[in-house]
Amino acid sequence: MLNLLNNTIVFKWIDKLINFINSIFFVFLLAALSFALIFSPPDYLQSETVRIMYVHVPSAWIGLAAFSVIALLSILNFIFKMKYSNLITKSIAPLGLMFTCLAIVTGSIWAQPTWGTWWAWDARLTSMVILALFYILFIISNKMILEDDKANKVSSIIAIIGFINIPVIKYSVEWWNTLHQPASIKFLQSNSIHSSMMIPLLLMFLALLLYCALIFLMKYKTEIIKIKKKNLKRL
Amino acid sequence: MIQNFISMNGFGLFVWSSFIVTFLSCACLYLKTYKTLKKSEREYAKEIQELPIERRKIILENSKIASQVLSSYNKVI
Repeated sequence: MLNLLNNTIVFKWIDKLINFINSIFFVFLLAALSFALIFSPPDYLQSETVRIMYVHVPSAWIGLAAFSVIALLSILNFIFKMKYSNLITKSIAPLGLMFTCLAIVTGSIWAQPTWGTWWAWDARLTSMVILALFYILFIISNKMILEDDKANKVSSIIAIIGFINIPVIKYSVEWWNTLHQPASIKFLQSNSIHSSMMIPLLLMFLALLLYCALIFLMKYKTEIIKIKKKNLKRL
Repeated sequence: MIQNFISMNGFGLFVWSSFIVTFLSCACLYLKTYKTLKKSEREYAKEIQELPIERRKIILENSKIASQVLSSYNKVI
């Protein structure tokens, strides 16, 4: 299993995967945009502003999922000293930060016509800002600390502490009285969202996941080359 | 019909700005990542090429990554 994560083997597959994703990405994106902007109906209460959901919700999901992956890999790294986990977390972090910021910005744009304000220090919004701050700390610690092992340790600690914030974000709408609506999509219970809106939402999520995979692979490849460059200098 | 689509029932500014911000950010991150990757590939290939022939030969024989990067760099040139 660990042999599969060997850089030489991974490197061989990265270009093939990038080409494959490039070939299907625009088809998915076009389908997702057509459904989100044309075929999906307006909401009976929120009218056309509901379309913001198709970029806001997938961005928030990706922001949360990316940090969860970073934190879990950091925990595994502490226990098993996994060689490549730091490469993966370093490649995921910028994506997670961008999508968390996008969730905040698009949420703010959606809030103006829905709540009548651009911003409120509501539990969900505030916890998302805290998540963005943890991402920034994680990225800065990796960039500023020159010693690899130390940077790895410090960033892992930041990720593990930040992981506490993930359930807070998820359950903030249930634990506190917030302006933010409760979740409409539940994995183990019935959804309160109609299929005419669910399909575009899932399509957009899939298109953005493909985009994430593309960026992740390119970043991972860059990190491998950086290591090889360092080794070249050592020789 | 097109006007209705653009105005989005009076909410066009909010809807379009959300989509534009999202896809513009995605495009910027893609370009930055792509440029960084190409730059590091270029620099790595150059460093290999600058090595003495014997050392370069050893590295290319032992590292598949090095030979792959160098061959793709030579293709670009």
